[in-house]
Amino acid sequence: MKNSAQRDLFPGALEMMILRTLKRQPLHGYALVQHIKRTSDDLLQIEEGSLYPALQRLLKEELVKAEWGISSTNRRVRIYKLTAAGAKHLERQVSSFEKMLEGITRVLARGES
Amino acid sequence: MRRLRALLKRLINLFNKETSEGEFSAEMESHLQLHIEDNLRSGMAPQEARRQALLRLGGLEQTKEIYRDRVGLPFPETLLRDFRYAARVLSKNLGFTIVAVTTLAIGIGANTAIFSVLESQLWRPLPFPDSERLVDAHIVLRENRRQWGVLTSIEYRAWRERSHSFTNLGAYDYPSNRNLTARGTSERAEVMRVTPSLLDTLGVPLETGRGFLPEEETPGRDRVAILTHTLWQTRFASDTSVLGNSIVLDGESYVVIGISSPRLHFEYMEEPAIFVPLAMNPSKQAPRNTYVIGRLAPGVRPAQASAELAGILETIPKSDRADDSTASVTNLRETWTGFAARSLFFFAGAVLLVLLIACVNNAGLLLARGLARQREFTLRAALGAGRGTLIRQSLVETLILSLAGGVGGTLLGLWGAAALAAFIPQDTLPRNTSVGLDSRVLLFVLGVSIFSALLTGIAPALLSSRVDLNSVLRQGPSGLSTSRSQNSTRGSLVAIEVALALVLLFGAGLFLSSFVRLEQAPRGFDAPGALSFRVSLRGENYAQPEQQQRYFRTLTDQLGSLAGVEAVTVGTGIPLDGYTQFESVNVKGRPPRGRHGSGVITYAVARNYFDLLHIHLLAGRPFSPQDSESSQSVVIINRNTAQTLFGSENPLGKVLEFVPDERRGTSVRPPVQIVGVSENAQVFGANEVPFEVLYFPFPQHPAPAADVVVSSSLPRGALLGAIRDTTYSLDKDQPIFDVQTTDDLISASLGGARFDLMLVACLAMVAVTLVSIGIFGTVAYFVQQRTREFGIRLALGATRGRILRHALRRALVMGSVGLLSGVIVSLALGRVLRGVLYLVPGERAGMLYGVKMDDPLAMSLASILLFAVVMLASYVPAVRAARVDPTVALRYE
Repeated sequence: MKNSAQRDLFPGALEMMILRTLKRQPLHGYALVQHIKRTSDDLLQIEEGSLYPALQRLLKEELVKAEWGISSTNRRVRIYKLTAAGAKHLERQVSSFEKMLEGITRVLARGES
Repeated sequence: MRRLRALLKRLINLFNKETSEGEFSAEMESHLQLHIEDNLRSGMAPQEARRQALLRLGGLEQTKEIYRDRVGLPFPETLLRDFRYAARVLSKNLGFTIVAVTTLAIGIGANTAIFSVLESQLWRPLPFPDSERLVDAHIVLRENRRQWGVLTSIEYRAWRERSHSFTNLGAYDYPSNRNLTARGTSERAEVMRVTPSLLDTLGVPLETGRGFLPEEETPGRDRVAILTHTLWQTRFASDTSVLGNSIVLDGESYVVIGISSPRLHFEYMEEPAIFVPLAMNPSKQAPRNTYVIGRLAPGVRPAQASAELAGILETIPKSDRADDSTASVTNLRETWTGFAARSLFFFAGAVLLVLLIACVNNAGLLLARGLARQREFTLRAALGAGRGTLIRQSLVETLILSLAGGVGGTLLGLWGAAALAAFIPQDTLPRNTSVGLDSRVLLFVLGVSIFSALLTGIAPALLSSRVDLNSVLRQGPSGLSTSRSQNSTRGSLVAIEVALALVLLFGAGLFLSSFVRLEQAPRGFDAPGALSFRVSLRGENYAQPEQQQRYFRTLTDQLGSLAGVEAVTVGTGIPLDGYTQFESVNVKGRPPRGRHGSGVITYAVARNYFDLLHIHLLAGRPFSPQDSESSQSVVIINRNTAQTLFGSENPLGKVLEFVPDERRGTSVRPPVQIVGVSENAQVFGANEVPFEVLYFPFPQHPAPAADVVVSSSLPRGALLGAIRDTTYSLDKDQPIFDVQTTDDLISASLGGARFDLMLVACLAMVAVTLVSIGIFGTVAYFVQQRTREFGIRLALGATRGRILRHALRRALVMGSVGLLSGVIVSLALGRVLRGVLYLVPGERAGMLYGVKMDDPLAMSLASILLFAVVMLASYVPAVRAARVDPTVALRYE
């Protein structure tokens, strides 16, 4: 179970997506899963079992915060919000991710030609 | 910082687990419900909707577990889990738990009691501010630095004026008992003479008034007094108007100038009630009565200070100093308490043995239980518990036992310390401190508990964690057999216990033997039931020897005429009461022995003193009425004086001359002629080398202070009443004190030895009890393990006698090995401790008198007693084994 978060994605990808999603609006856990699934056009399937440990990690590092609220279907849910530190962290992650992606793309492109 | 906060959060979560886990469950539940609702909306059947949602979420419990591992701290959490589990296990085996905890509580309690005495006596700082900087400055003989000397005021002054090692230096003389008259009544009070600087050196400021001025050190200007807070409260009702008023001490008037702080206590000596200046007589005949306390300057070590003081001593003219001595500076607390350290440490060692026995006992119990739980351990190992986990679990269990034992031990220890304080003879402990629970004692209990947990737990934990999964699981419970290593471990544990107990029993035997010898040692006097009391005449009315002589003659005459009084006598001291005077003599017409002559103890006694106290006259004549003020001065010497001074020569008719004593400054006595030789009578106690003692006729050497001894058929109360009436009517200003019978004196002189014996005997008894419990348990367990085997043997025709012998043989082997090693250890220990324990009268203070360290009687008695205990403790379960019914035994599982 330990590396379940990395089974299909590279390390940190899940966290990054969570943070990015929460940057748009605060969400509860289930909505987060649905949102990521929808925005990736079902390309990314989030292992729901690894979502909560990831959220827990983020909470602990104070990149997100959580409070209890009521969902649209009138259910008691825990709503996660991005903190200032979380936003900064996200920026750094995204830029380093983009650099990495660019590198990978170049390598792949050269291989093709 | 963030990490720190995370750690803190985890710590909080550790105790807050219920809520945090509850929250998480709620969150997961809501997630699940949302998912199910979605699935339902997309048209799934309710059953399927739930199943899919659960599948997507993954294992709920696994998720929780991951979450949990993140929330708490893994190590303390598993430890906590171990604790919970251990507590459950222990509460299920209540019988075992109670025995184990009680055993440990006894062991820890005994140690706590002794430790709290050690702490309060030896280690607790003296009750003065920054007291560890305080030192005792004194002189020691050059050739034997253990021989201490007291300073003269001349030497003290030189130190005070010229040394730089101290921020302050003061001196005192030991408190003496004087007549205090104030506001119309008189009583005895302890008066301590101190230099003006002493109270400053100690660092406890006065409550009110002023301290002594430097010029008040000079004779003539020294009639000022400082009252202690206690006396001021009790005697003067805390009335401040006493300041500036006069009180009378021994007929001399003193002006009260100050009241000491209620915090001023010495703990070490008789607490003084009044301070007066220690007058420094500039004359050459300075008495050696100056005890010096210094406060070391910052950064100065005692060795440096003593080197400086030694240098200063050298500059004093030879005639004014002890030229055979040099200076020594030692920590004040250690100086005051050192003499008690040895016997206290000895008892600490003895109680440590008891604790060891308790631990070994519990180790045996745990081992037996470990066997019974072998299946549990195996199962847990099979489920993935590592050996470390199993060991940790076992140790946690013993730790709980030990901590519970520690709690019980603290209570027992407090009670024991109070009992010790109540029973301990007054003179054996140096300080008058409260024994009680303080942080150091608690820390000690905690330490001892953990120590005993490790001692108890290591072996059983290692042994029972060594599980062989295969064999045990395959065989099932009936196949459980005791491994050879576990059996031999248990056997050697019992042997160790027996050996330790033998050491204690043998020690108790030695103390008993020593006590019997002390009790039977010839005392040289015998006056059962005689009552003695003391009068110390003070005041102008008794300044002259004739007045003193007249008072005591009148008093004895009046008491003697009372109905029921058989005889009355007077002496400046009586055997065992400790009132002695030391003087030095030379035989006339012979070269003097050494520089100072021969040291003797002198008493001035009435004519019938020898008759009443039954001190036998061996040669010559008793004192007669003709031995008066005007006739030739005579003396009766004791047998020991005759031996040391005259050997086989006849001492009668010889003349003794007194050496002028510059230390005392007393007037020199005239030469005395020997007219008689008496038997040696004890002076201080049974364990003394006989002293050289001289008896003068009281009329020739009257003294202001003397014991009056009354032999009478009256009951004590009535006699005492009559004595008080008589003394009061004779002179109401002369109180009587130290009222006691000669039996009291004898009993008191044996008090220390009796206490030592009691303590060691108690410890030995506890040890024997623990050992018998241990052996009983071991044999009972051994027998129970073999019930099946015994059944088979019986069924095959073995007699019950054979079974009994078989069961007993094991106990016999364990007991014998234990006894043998106990004897060896005792003898070895005796050899090591001989120097500490054994008393050589006059040479070395010790605790044992007249016995040898390999005393065969004590050794054989201890061995026989212990052997009997071993056999008895194993006989009961062995008989039970022999009585077993074969059919029952074979079915036994």
